[in-house]
Amino acid sequence: MKTEAVVRRYTRQVRSYVNSRKAQRIKLAVLGQHMNDGLLAKLFIYFMLSIIAYLYLQPFFYMISTMLKGLSDLLDPTVKWIPRTIDWDNLSRAFKGLSYPRAFMNSMLLAAGGSLLQVFVCAITGYALARLQFPGKKLFFALVFLTFLIPPQVIMIPLYVTFSKLGWLGTPFVFLIPALLGQGIKSALFIIIFRQFFLSLPKALEEAAMIDGASMFRLFLRIIMPLASSACLVVFLFSFIWYWNEGYLTSMFLSGDFIPLSNKLSGLEAAIFGDNPSMATMTQNPVTEGTKMAGAFLIVFPPLVLYMIAQRWFVEGIERTGLVD
Amino acid sequence: MNARAKGMAKLAYKWRSYGAGYLFMLPWMIGFAVFMAFPIGWSLYLAFQKVSLSGTGFKYSYIGMQNFKDALFKDNEFTIQLLVFMQQMIFMIPIIIIFSLCVSLLLNQQFPGRFLFRAIFFLPVIFSTGQVLTELFQQGAGDVPFIAQYGIDTYVTENFSKSLADPLLNILGMMILILWSSGVQILIFIAGFQTISKSIYEAVRIDGASPWTSFWKITLPGVKPFIALNLLYTMVDLFTFPFNPIMEQIKSNMFNISTGYGYASAIAWLYFIFIMILIALIMLFLNSSNKARRA
Repeated sequence: MKTEAVVRRYTRQVRSYVNSRKAQRIKLAVLGQHMNDGLLAKLFIYFMLSIIAYLYLQPFFYMISTMLKGLSDLLDPTVKWIPRTIDWDNLSRAFKGLSYPRAFMNSMLLAAGGSLLQVFVCAITGYALARLQFPGKKLFFALVFLTFLIPPQVIMIPLYVTFSKLGWLGTPFVFLIPALLGQGIKSALFIIIFRQFFLSLPKALEEAAMIDGASMFRLFLRIIMPLASSACLVVFLFSFIWYWNEGYLTSMFLSGDFIPLSNKLSGLEAAIFGDNPSMATMTQNPVTEGTKMAGAFLIVFPPLVLYMIAQRWFVEGIERTGLVD
Repeated sequence: MNARAKGMAKLAYKWRSYGAGYLFMLPWMIGFAVFMAFPIGWSLYLAFQKVSLSGTGFKYSYIGMQNFKDALFKDNEFTIQLLVFMQQMIFMIPIIIIFSLCVSLLLNQQFPGRFLFRAIFFLPVIFSTGQVLTELFQQGAGDVPFIAQYGIDTYVTENFSKSLADPLLNILGMMILILWSSGVQILIFIAGFQTISKSIYEAVRIDGASPWTSFWKITLPGVKPFIALNLLYTMVDLFTFPFNPIMEQIKSNMFNISTGYGYASAIAWLYFIFIMILIALIMLFLNSSNKARRA
């Protein structure tokens, strides 16, 4: 009987504690109101995201770690992530092998030039499709969308022949001229982005400017473009990255003196061991793994810096320009 | 002013504003004609020709459907490559879409540091240069580390037929690199979630729905158009995926004397037709989901 009374008292105490405000508050904090806003859910999200992020970034870590390994570390299977001694030779060898300054300038010319042209042309095309009235507008928009879906493989051969007839092969014109005429890399996507953006602007602005007697072009340059600066920046950044990373069309159209960074990596071994053909022809040569990763790092480094500076614009860009509405 | 002059003035005004529209469209129109319409037409023309290089230049001779017949029935490399590519697509597209949907669901929750994670998941878009990806793949950095650890690869080879196991292992080997091409898709999904109004979630919550049911009943139907959009984007993105074998096929046939431009064009068109069928299926899905949304 006595023990029963103790147990009963104990239970009552526990129950009163569980029902107390403090305990309820703790429960709310841990489990949350709807299971998905409590501490437990947050921990779960962090846990999942960290694992996925680790797996996701693993090739990148591999790149960095292999790049810094010397020969003895590369051949030693017990060294996995952190090299025993940091070897900067790989980087300097890759720098030379890629003929980095020159290739960098080539890539820069293509990426920056192509993107600037593309921003301007896609903006005016998007504006026309969003706001100006002219017969056949719907048809043009359908054609823009269609160009997005055409695989580059289909038009590659005629373009190659055309460019070679014009003598443009191996010059930046093969990318800059199409960009100037709204047919650059993913131009259709950018035109659609601009169109969506201009559709979201209030009409009253243009009406007011028109009543004040501004011409169409002044209106566009003085009023519309400054308003669209955020969309312009987003398009510029994406376009820059895609031009920088383009490897297929460049390998097709560019050769000789004018080779961008994205096509330099495969020739790296030959460039370094040019005088020693037996080394150059060996594929999957552990000796060059570190150097090749250093080369890969040097190629992705400039866009990486750009991303660090402008990360916000990339990540929020798609929401901001309202592409998805 | 009589009515006629008025009408004329009106027409002139109208055409002046039309003129502005056409002027704004002009660069794109020229570009479309020169770099899109003309190459497509020419490529179609080439597909029915035998192009040979003679001393003075190219020689074209019409050979009807011969190029297509050769590509489909004689060339044992192209058909195999196309099949391999098809198998890859069938595995890769769902992987990319489901992965990006899951990650974007996690990233859509409110928690401190979510912008850091968003930045991480977009990072691969920045350095997905073809040759860099190929090099990473060749050095074996693209696989998931626990696959070999837990013997998943031997499990796959033992339990599936060879024709199924090979592409499956190939996919597993570059799993991470495939997931790397889901950066833009994640952002599209996150933006898509914002279009579903918060009050709907509150309403079903009051009605006693758990987060689980509200995901299946509200979130998923709500993002269906974005799933279609992402399918479309992924397809287009895979045109120039570094492991897409068709690109190499076209290039090698182009500069091959016995096949030449004509045959390479025919291959490109077969690939195009194949892609278009897939895209048409996606558009059908998109249309039906739009209709369901309006109803």
